[in-house]
Amino acid sequence: MKKTPERIEKLAAEYVLGSLRGPARRRFERWMMESGAARREVWYWEQKLGSLSDRVEEVQPPRRVWEGINQRLWPQQAAPQRGESGRRGGLWLLGGWSAMATAAVLVLAVVLLQQPAPEAFRVMTGAIVEENVADPLWLVTEADHQRELSLRPVAARAAEQGKDYELWVLPDSGPAISLGVVPVGEVYRVTLDEATRQALLESQTLAITLEPKGGSPTGVATGPVLYVTRLYEL
Amino acid sequence: MATYEVDQDHLLRLLAAVAQQDRRAFEVLYEKMSSRMFGLCLKLCGQQDLAEEALQDSFVRIWHHAGEYHQDRGAPQSWMLSIARYRTLDLIRARKVRQGGGEATPEALHDERPGPLDESLMVSGAAALNGCLEELSDSQRDSILLSYYRCLTHEELATALDTPIGTVKSWIRRGLMALKRCLER
Repeated sequence: MKKTPERIEKLAAEYVLGSLRGPARRRFERWMMESGAARREVWYWEQKLGSLSDRVEEVQPPRRVWEGINQRLWPQQAAPQRGESGRRGGLWLLGGWSAMATAAVLVLAVVLLQQPAPEAFRVMTGAIVEENVADPLWLVTEADHQRELSLRPVAARAAEQGKDYELWVLPDSGPAISLGVVPVGEVYRVTLDEATRQALLESQTLAITLEPKGGSPTGVATGPVLYVTRLYEL
Repeated sequence: MATYEVDQDHLLRLLAAVAQQDRRAFEVLYEKMSSRMFGLCLKLCGQQDLAEEALQDSFVRIWHHAGEYHQDRGAPQSWMLSIARYRTLDLIRARKVRQGGGEATPEALHDERPGPLDESLMVSGAAALNGCLEELSDSQRDSILLSYYRCLTHEELATALDTPIGTVKSWIRRGLMALKRCLER
């Protein structure tokens, strides 16, 4: 579909209003990644229609919301027991990932997965892009070996001091599967075992969390989910 | 009713501090904005648990992305309210998908709120857009406000307003463009 100014104008308004749904909404999110004009149009409507939000009556949220935020951002400090914190982090990861696609973070990396012969190649693409960063954070390029997934950093910056990025497969059900700590300065290749490969083929969803240096000490995500990316089959 | 004036410069300074991982500033930001954002989440979805989840997600997101705020995105408050609104929309959709289908049924539209939209919101909404909503036809204005405040899909709107979906789509599309022309005058 042509990205004419008229189409951008119309779609941006419906995107912000929320009436643009489903594949059309995702398609427009990809436009936003490619087009500054589309982003500016969205910001225009966010401000204009945002004035409708100003008029909504304030309601004091219960205390547990703030506690939940602390628990998620700083689980080590907020959790009563260390053992609990990891598990809670993992639960939130599963419960909260499903619709992380929001305006601020869009995804643009490419993940290529090769099925073992004799099945046809199955190639999936996705993306990890941060808004206002022209290049994707990570690009995933085709790996030579079967069952290998590789992430190539483009605009990704090092994690804050004492932290690492950890890559996960989010299966349709069950706990997230760690794919290890992602180095920022070099291509990261990881070989998927059969169960992990199957889980990724089904859910087509990856996540990156912020973890202590060296990755989650417990094997389940403890830090906040920074990016969730949905892969698309090519 | 909401108090409309929040010191945007103060919010800006808080966001800048949060971008530097200042947890105290984050707490103040929460104190300043959480009631406003929570009110919006609740208004949009009409469900306490979903609104709480949306607010929590929004502040986690703000902690990680405060550095991405810039003034082209509008006032800090508008940026934060957008985050809360999109997150609530996402959760509403995810829940509809989980409940199967997401097709509009009269039952699905039923909620506890007075409706279709309370009068005060209509009035203040219109004032917020410089009176431009007044220039739209009633059906254009109502369908836009219902989409905005109730997060109704085209299908749900068609059901709620007992009107063919094509007509509803065109009300919204034409209404939004008329709104823009008016706002740009």
